[in-house]
Amino acid sequence: MAELPQIETLRHAQAPQRAEKPPSRLARLVNIPFVTIVALLVSYGLLVCWSATSVSEDHNFSRQLMGVAMGLVCMVVVWRFDYRKLGSMTTFFLVVNVVLILSPHIPGLGTDAGMGAKSWIKLGMQVQPGEFAKVTVVLFAASLVARYNGQLDSLREYCKVVGFLLVPFVCIMTQPDLGTGLVYLFISATVLVMGGARLRFLLVTLGVCVALVAAVFAIDEVLKYETAPGEYEYRLLKQYQRKRLLVFLDPEGDLSGDGYNLAQAKIAIGSGGLFGVGLLHGTQAAYGYLPEAPTDFIFCVLCEELGFAGAFLLIALYAALFFVSLRIARSCGNLFGMLIVCAIVGMWLFQILENIGMTCGLMPITGIPLPFVSYGTSFMITNFVMLGLIGSVWSHDDALNSRRTSYAATR
Amino acid sequence: MLEAVIAAIAVAAAIVALCVVLYRRWAEKHGVRSGTVDDVRQVSTFGVGTSVIDDPDAAPTADELRVGGRETTDKPADSMTRRFLALAGLSTGVFAVLAAKLWQMQVLSGQQYAEDAHENLFTDVATPAPRGCIYDASGTALVLNRLSQTVLADGDVAGNSDVVRRLSAVLGVPAPIVRKRIADAASGAQSQRVVASDVTLRDVAFITEHFEAFPGVGIETRTVREYPYGALAAHALGYTGAPSEEQLERAEEGRSILATDTIGMSGIESYYDGLLSGDHGSRRVMTDAMGNIVNVVSETAPLKGSDVYLELNAQAQYTADRLLAETIAPAGDIGTGKGVSGAVVALDVRNGGVKVMASYPTFDPTSFTGGIPEDVWALYNTEESHAPLNNRAINGQYAAASTYKAFTSMAGLEYGFADDEMEWECTGSWDGFGTGAPQKCWARYGHGMLGLRSGIVQSCDVVFYEIAKQFFLHGPEGSGELTETALQEYIGKYNFGKATGIDLDNESEGRIPTPAWKAEQWRNVPSEALWVGGDYSNMIIGQGDVLVTPLQVACGYMGIATGKILKPHLLKEVRNTNDEVVVQVEPEVIAEPEVNQAHLAFVRDALRGVITENSTVARAFGAAGIEAAGKSGTAEHTDRPDDAWFVAYAPFDDPHYVCACVLEQGGGGSDSAGPIVAQVLGTLLDTEAGNEAALARVAGSSGKAVEVEFTGPTGRTD
Repeated sequence: MAELPQIETLRHAQAPQRAEKPPSRLARLVNIPFVTIVALLVSYGLLVCWSATSVSEDHNFSRQLMGVAMGLVCMVVVWRFDYRKLGSMTTFFLVVNVVLILSPHIPGLGTDAGMGAKSWIKLGMQVQPGEFAKVTVVLFAASLVARYNGQLDSLREYCKVVGFLLVPFVCIMTQPDLGTGLVYLFISATVLVMGGARLRFLLVTLGVCVALVAAVFAIDEVLKYETAPGEYEYRLLKQYQRKRLLVFLDPEGDLSGDGYNLAQAKIAIGSGGLFGVGLLHGTQAAYGYLPEAPTDFIFCVLCEELGFAGAFLLIALYAALFFVSLRIARSCGNLFGMLIVCAIVGMWLFQILENIGMTCGLMPITGIPLPFVSYGTSFMITNFVMLGLIGSVWSHDDALNSRRTSYAATR
Repeated sequence: MLEAVIAAIAVAAAIVALCVVLYRRWAEKHGVRSGTVDDVRQVSTFGVGTSVIDDPDAAPTADELRVGGRETTDKPADSMTRRFLALAGLSTGVFAVLAAKLWQMQVLSGQQYAEDAHENLFTDVATPAPRGCIYDASGTALVLNRLSQTVLADGDVAGNSDVVRRLSAVLGVPAPIVRKRIADAASGAQSQRVVASDVTLRDVAFITEHFEAFPGVGIETRTVREYPYGALAAHALGYTGAPSEEQLERAEEGRSILATDTIGMSGIESYYDGLLSGDHGSRRVMTDAMGNIVNVVSETAPLKGSDVYLELNAQAQYTADRLLAETIAPAGDIGTGKGVSGAVVALDVRNGGVKVMASYPTFDPTSFTGGIPEDVWALYNTEESHAPLNNRAINGQYAAASTYKAFTSMAGLEYGFADDEMEWECTGSWDGFGTGAPQKCWARYGHGMLGLRSGIVQSCDVVFYEIAKQFFLHGPEGSGELTETALQEYIGKYNFGKATGIDLDNESEGRIPTPAWKAEQWRNVPSEALWVGGDYSNMIIGQGDVLVTPLQVACGYMGIATGKILKPHLLKEVRNTNDEVVVQVEPEVIAEPEVNQAHLAFVRDALRGVITENSTVARAFGAAGIEAAGKSGTAEHTDRPDDAWFVAYAPFDDPHYVCACVLEQGGGGSDSAGPIVAQVLGTLLDTEAGNEAALARVAGSSGKAVEVEFTGPTGRTD
């Protein structure tokens, strides 16, 4: 209830009553550089998505526009909402996370959308709850670690935190959706690092992770069973998952499935040259050579049509967004807020690295979309909510430090 | 390259910018305090308007907004600077690596990827060219093209009983036959199998409309060969089919054969395949990932093959084909008439053109679209079918029998072992070498006293045995005046024992037996390897180890008729698509035997006598209305009926044509082969005079034979 006056005050501030005040009031509400970069990024993403969907019968650009519109509404709502109210709701987020991520398992609600993994639920339209759960995972991780005030020095406490942070990952792996799971892990890792966990703990954790991955492969070798003479199926990581993970190490090895996808993705990227073949003139996606062009491989469409210049522009916009976001994080007076922003930046960084990296053969193939560009309503809304969270951190942090309005409100 | 430089500079600038920013942040944290302005500059590095913050009046506010960690200590980030730097550094690193990789792919190797994308997109598709047509000398079409709607299926459709049943219902072909045709790999393992040709447009439309019910089934409009006269001259014309892998590999230089092409498999179709086949058209098409054609970029029309005009005379050819069929299989199956197989060759002695080339049993290539159907192949591979695909005119090798006597008598005259006054007595049997196993004349009663001319006219063997004896006595075993191959060399002048060089593949060479050949042949049986007098006496009447083809006999008699042997050729001329003659075959002399003209005249007179002085022969040639000269022959076998020969040229005093006919197991030459030769020569001279002659469709042979019991040698009657 304490915040209500503040919000009212802000509304009033928009009225041009005091000539010297409006600019700063508006500035307090809207971070101009941040909004500018986001506007540029989203417009650029829509342009590429429009080109990619224009040649696909399965994808509808107006759905993407609708996603952006819904995302904008969500962003504004979240922006105006004081994130600090969420700081003590760790348990609630944990429950929400578990319920959201496990919801596709509820009979009659879940569907695999013909893609193998139970990642979707039907709510009039198909929704990926694991996507929305990224928001709650960010909030959960940030609120969990923020409790320690940057002093996560006890091994016992550290282990407890790590254990809680693994819950969403374990839940998503029941679908299974390794890509989203890795995003959760990266969010958690960023929060741990930025939340002040001791460096030694972090390094040991990293070592344990590497060892675990090695162990999974090693144990699989023991557990594998023969489905047909000479053909083996593994129990922990299915054959197709292994192939996707390993194909980037040996792209020539499998030219039918993922190897073919990767080869075509690389052709699309490389054939763009410096300035590309021009928007809507790409052939790799238009004639079906490039699989999943509007979603996972949309970066290839951008590269083919707008060339290195276009791809570099996108990377530059991402860099600018990160820069502005990290500035907001640094200037934040609240550890919870700082961790939220850092977690979001970490999440985007991983998604960008993985998506672009996989298309050019640097990373294994996983189904991770490219933020603000890939086709997908759930994904678009999630990212706008993330933007809203950053905006909320910025605007409400500002309020916290403002002598005039926020001090009394927050006390 | 300029692009590369620009992009390189851009990447470098971006990385430098990021480094500068990072350094500033680091410096800011480590005591290089420059205050608010610094902050503003940082923002402006990214070119983002910060007018609100820039406002000097609002400086205190900005101070609080843009906390650079100056005096405030309540920012949680303050204790995390190194980790912020790490996060920023990680981001910079990620972006730098990605940008570098993209730079490498798009700018440095962009050309290669662009080519790959191009390769993805464009495919060159060859469109088949219609083959040239084949005509006879007067322009009668013997082989034409026709469009045929063909239903094709992939090989694995044979295992899909639903599709097989549907095809059966639509095409009206029993399901087992449909399955058998699809399983038939005769046209090549990788190609689609022909389910039905000449499908009606209605059925084609049905299959096209319901294509999802017919997976693996395709429809093609094919150009197929059409044979207006069926089996007429089938062996000379040959047939077409899909190329075997071997043929694909050894395609001639500058000629591209595709697995989907139709190429000549035998006869003229094969020998002049390069002329007939034309040039593929080419379509450069844009395809999508599924291989569907999106767009045709460019198209070169196929060039139809050249038309080939042959020396054949369709009417005479028809006469020969018809007479062979009527003689050998009047009721349709072999064994119901005289002989089991046969061949007729007629040549124009003035230029060597092949006017008739017939072989029986024969085949109708009409059903051979895309290769020989399996059922026909099975039928024609039985023993009782007597190998209908075999061209006996050039590949049938027979004992020459008495047709040889024209040449051996010339040899006798040459060496003085006979002249127009010498006479010998024929008692019906002869044992001049004293072996105790007398050789017989075909006339067991004996011809009495007779000279060489009568010896030829009545085909008396004893006369020739006597001449053979002289060759033996003057050879190395006797006086040694002659070499052991004097007789063979003389026969060889008339091109026996070697290929004539006709424009067909795999011509047989025949054989003139020599002592060397015999020694080699019997090298494992020394008792048989010795050349004896009996070998001369057998050879001189064209028996024993002598082998000739009908074409060689015709060529030899061309040499008798005109004094020189021209290379036999089927091709008359080649016309391109504009009907211009591009190739014309000129006569080529392959042998011009140096012989005494008086001896030649003597033999010609005797050959004329063969026609006029034997009643059956005279009647046959009289009926045909021609004045010919020729010779009969009957090749004796101990284990099967005799082979009948007849060869003649006409008119005898101004030869135009020579015709040879052999009927395997056909009995006496004069009775069975003579009338065929007479009628073929008659048709040739008739049509040359401008008269009409019958020409109709010829049927392929049934592939069946009636078993005829062999009762033992009956004795020759020539």
